[in-house]
Amino acid sequence: MKDIFTGKLVRLSAFDPEEMSKMFPRWNRNSEYQRLLNSSARPMHSPKAELKWMEKEAGEMSPSGHFFGIRRLEDDKLIGEIGIDVVNWPGRDAFVGLGIGETEYWSKGYGTDAMNILLRFAFTELNLRRVTLTVFEYNPRAIRSYEKAGFRHEGHLRNFLNREGRRWNELYMGILREEWLGLDTDTAG
Amino acid sequence: MNDLFRGELVRFALEEPETYARAEVRWQRDSEFHRLADGDPARLHSEKAIKEWFAKRTEDTAPERYAFSVRTLAEDKLIGFLGMWVDLIHSEAWVGLGIGEREFWSKGYGTDMMKLCLQYAFTELCMERVSLGVHEYNPRALRSYEKCGFRLEGRTRQDVLREGKRYDSLWMGILREEWLQMQNGDRT
Repeated sequence: MKDIFTGKLVRLSAFDPEEMSKMFPRWNRNSEYQRLLNSSARPMHSPKAELKWMEKEAGEMSPSGHFFGIRRLEDDKLIGEIGIDVVNWPGRDAFVGLGIGETEYWSKGYGTDAMNILLRFAFTELNLRRVTLTVFEYNPRAIRSYEKAGFRHEGHLRNFLNREGRRWNELYMGILREEWLGLDTDTAG
Repeated sequence: MNDLFRGELVRFALEEPETYARAEVRWQRDSEFHRLADGDPARLHSEKAIKEWFAKRTEDTAPERYAFSVRTLAEDKLIGFLGMWVDLIHSEAWVGLGIGEREFWSKGYGTDMMKLCLQYAFTELCMERVSLGVHEYNPRALRSYEKCGFRLEGRTRQDVLREGKRYDSLWMGILREEWLQMQNGDRT
């Protein structure tokens, strides 16, 4: 059986609040990163505040929320975070979110690789029926990455965001279990 | 659409902690009831302790646990309880039920409760199978579960000691397809 947490470029690692609470404030100083990830106006949070939130959110062993760090295989460097939240167990649907906080690793396939690992976790470990995500219209790099991972465009909320004097759509993307099974060539169950 | 919380004889309800505690304290005094429902040693708890436990449980919104009180449709009398524990990953639910009011034994109330439970498990929770355990010395329950469509799947031999004699634990289960077939059969 292969290691389900390891991909081609990265591996998903345990979400360590001590470590992550130091990374988040640094990553979040980049307002472009924040705007790609969040629609809300987010202030900067101190490591202490992040730690408090993380220990509550990621620390409790809920069956519905699963958070991971993204580490490069090459040097084990922590470059981002990824999480999945099962929003509807009877429907077996979950929302996924990911961010590569270390900007020098943007556009190099790390995010796509992390998403591929997460989809394998979602479909073979959590046995989900579908995975959903939202992404902003002004983030074509992410949209392209999700398309590569097998997500399809399912709809959009028109004029959802107001950024830099114009309004942007929020896009909904999703992938079904059968679609993923058809895509995945090297996963045995 | 079927009413998920209403059967032919009973309905699923949510009690005030005071109401439930008052009934449960009486049920616990019936040690035969306890031995039919449970393998643990019979214990007696105060009304206050039961009330606090029940109030806490009522606030539990975890997707793995579902608990109902059971009332008769005719008299609106609280007669028992039913609970489900869900394995989310494998879509399996374990069910346990009890009728504390003895005068409602052997009259189809338990079977009606279980049918309601299966409808909830398969149509609301979208489970793939429902499982239960029952003591060998409880043939009335066994018969009721068979009527609901459960099949005997296995047994743990002689793991319960009662009155100097050892008894088996029986494991029963029903699959989604089996339950769906039964529903179609009922309609035609």
